[in-house]
Amino acid sequence: MAKPQLSYAQLLETNNMLQTNGDECYWLCVTRTVQESKLFPVPSYMLLSYLNCFYRYPGLLAKIEEKMSAEEIGDRMRNMGVKIANPSMGWGLTNFYLLGREWLIAAGLLRPQDAADDVMYVMDFWKRYQLAWHRNDGHLFNKEFDHRGQFLPERQLQVFHADLYDCQTGDELHEAAHQFLAAASQYCFLIACESRLCLHTQGPYKIDDQREMIVRDHFDLSECSLPWLDGVGAEVPYNNLTVTMAVDDCHFHICDDWGSTEAEPEFKADKLSGIGLYTSDMLSEGYIPVGMNSREELTQTFHELAGNIKDATAKLWQRIAGWSRDQMMDAGAITYYACIKDLAHVAGVYDVDDWMKIDHRADRFRPLFNDEYGRDCLGEMVGLISLPQQQISDYSMMMHSNAPKRVYTPIPYDILKTGDYVPSVGDVERGITYLPEKEDRYNTTQGTLTLSEFNRKAADFVPETLQNDRNLLCETWVKFHYDSPQADDLYKVHQKHSRLLKDRGAGLRRADIEKIRSQE
Amino acid sequence: MAKLYVDVDKYGDEHASPVVEAFHSAIRDLVRKRLDESGCGWSEFVFGKSHELITQDDMAAVEQQLLDAGHKFDWSAAISPRERPDAYKASAGTSDEDLKTFCFEHPDAPTAEADGDGRALRGVGDNVAKYPQNVTGTARYVRSSDRVLKWLSDGVPDNTIAVIDDSGGTLTAPILEQFKGVICAGGTVRSHLGILTREYGIPCFMNAKVTGIYEGDTVEMECSAAAKPAEFYQQGKEQTANVWRHGKG
Repeated sequence: MAKPQLSYAQLLETNNMLQTNGDECYWLCVTRTVQESKLFPVPSYMLLSYLNCFYRYPGLLAKIEEKMSAEEIGDRMRNMGVKIANPSMGWGLTNFYLLGREWLIAAGLLRPQDAADDVMYVMDFWKRYQLAWHRNDGHLFNKEFDHRGQFLPERQLQVFHADLYDCQTGDELHEAAHQFLAAASQYCFLIACESRLCLHTQGPYKIDDQREMIVRDHFDLSECSLPWLDGVGAEVPYNNLTVTMAVDDCHFHICDDWGSTEAEPEFKADKLSGIGLYTSDMLSEGYIPVGMNSREELTQTFHELAGNIKDATAKLWQRIAGWSRDQMMDAGAITYYACIKDLAHVAGVYDVDDWMKIDHRADRFRPLFNDEYGRDCLGEMVGLISLPQQQISDYSMMMHSNAPKRVYTPIPYDILKTGDYVPSVGDVERGITYLPEKEDRYNTTQGTLTLSEFNRKAADFVPETLQNDRNLLCETWVKFHYDSPQADDLYKVHQKHSRLLKDRGAGLRRADIEKIRSQE
Repeated sequence: MAKLYVDVDKYGDEHASPVVEAFHSAIRDLVRKRLDESGCGWSEFVFGKSHELITQDDMAAVEQQLLDAGHKFDWSAAISPRERPDAYKASAGTSDEDLKTFCFEHPDAPTAEADGDGRALRGVGDNVAKYPQNVTGTARYVRSSDRVLKWLSDGVPDNTIAVIDDSGGTLTAPILEQFKGVICAGGTVRSHLGILTREYGIPCFMNAKVTGIYEGDTVEMECSAAAKPAEFYQQGKEQTANVWRHGKG
């Protein structure tokens, strides 16, 4: 993929993406949570991560695209639940990078036009990935879809819908699922050093007049790229788990680019009426059912996984409690920075030094990031929007606040005339870590692999959904060709592991799925 | 002295935070100085010589300037004052000894004398989820990993209503499920602690404004009150539930 070239049109588009990302970042940060922890120095590690993103993302994204384009990775992502979902892609990739840039501008270490080629490229990569991943809903990010994310094609949704097991408050499956979800959420927050980066919810999808389905992913649960899970994650048998949930009498009116939801009335346990469980990764043929052969097996699986996860939570917490502040800073900063690492895993070009280290150029600033400066500086950048360069003309009214501010400083257009800018930060440079080196074990759907095996398998892997030009058989094509052998073939790829839909083909509609479910 | 791009700014001048202003001013001074010393132009400096000339030691010196002026930093992560007690304000109310006399004292906590049932109002909080009945238990502060570690080995004492000022979900991660209730002095109903307690079905008040609740007090949470919707924060609407202390008058 050729990198975008500097032109007026390109700058207009890039600056538009800076503005819309800034608008949404502000809304998310102000309305969706308050980030704090007595365990981790959260705002401080965030600042360190942003700088690492600024110095390293352009080079690493280019390295990935030498093997696989952003849009192909986005296409693959519609058929698996790995970490390059939200919040990593809808928010993290762009905003972490741009916040690093904004900090350097505030410190006088960067002009808004410096690294212009990098900024154009990072935003362009993001755009192409997002458009491919969001191809079925046709939006650039959930914000543009009024906070909704409908990534999955009908053929996958039918499988998820059909294979749900009904449950209700008080029955054993409901209780087991509920306990699993609570334990898994808690484990995910701990793995991700207090952040939401290991959790993603997409949807809603309409099942019938009274019910919606949401799909919740849990990432990096086992021994994976994160060195702090070496050993403690070994007993968790799946690295990624996707839970499908049918919900009664409850409309999810927000499903945002952080992968979190709001429902009206509130989604509580008693609303859960159907459940399913899957795993997937960059080496799997889509979503593989976990414990889905019977209701009893699924109940037992939830019990066992909750037990594994609670044990891992206790062990990981004890490990973290023994860390130095620098180790906590590294783990948190790496969690944020490497939220997009699965792009490299999909392309088969993952390198530990690329993703698990702090670049020496970013590490220079570590002594600044005490708790008070971290809190105040992050608050200024994303909440108060009070850095001097974020103030704009008094006539302006920022989205959501009406104040004369903007989160991200645009690239000035005068560089088209003067040429006075430095295009790029250059290649990835040496990195450091205070954490133990990553052990060479990666739990995948193809078993526990060394990194070289993992990279080789990933580089060679072409999922069936992308073979024989199937990727171009989109939902619009299906609409007008559902009665063709090609459409049947396409649907059967997704139905391969389905309990109720195996080999049923392309002719079914949503009401048919309910009939099939009622006959089980 | 070299002039930086951001030295001319029509609309922006100072930062909101004095610490951020102090740090950024010092860094900009340093950049001007190093740029002058480098003898090169900005284009060679920005992604070239500055990487060697602006060092980690320089940044440590920026922080030291503020410490030398007598400033002590606020802390949020317990590890920070533990590693650098000279750089941070004292972390009161975290050790078992401190907790014998410590309590949260929110200036806006509503209070009232004991009612006919011996319940004295000691504050309010944002109810995360509504439950059929109020919950009563023993208040115990959780403000350090030492206490979590102890209870992880020994078990959480029965009937504990955890009083916390960390709205995150990690400090109490391995023991959260064992709490009877949680009163958190920070965050919102959508903070990670709020999300987790709701998933576990544990009554929880976030953003609690409480005062005069000591270690070992019997407290009652009005978790039968309406839950606060998340949109109320953006709309500036208040909706709280009460916290009572029993038996002390």
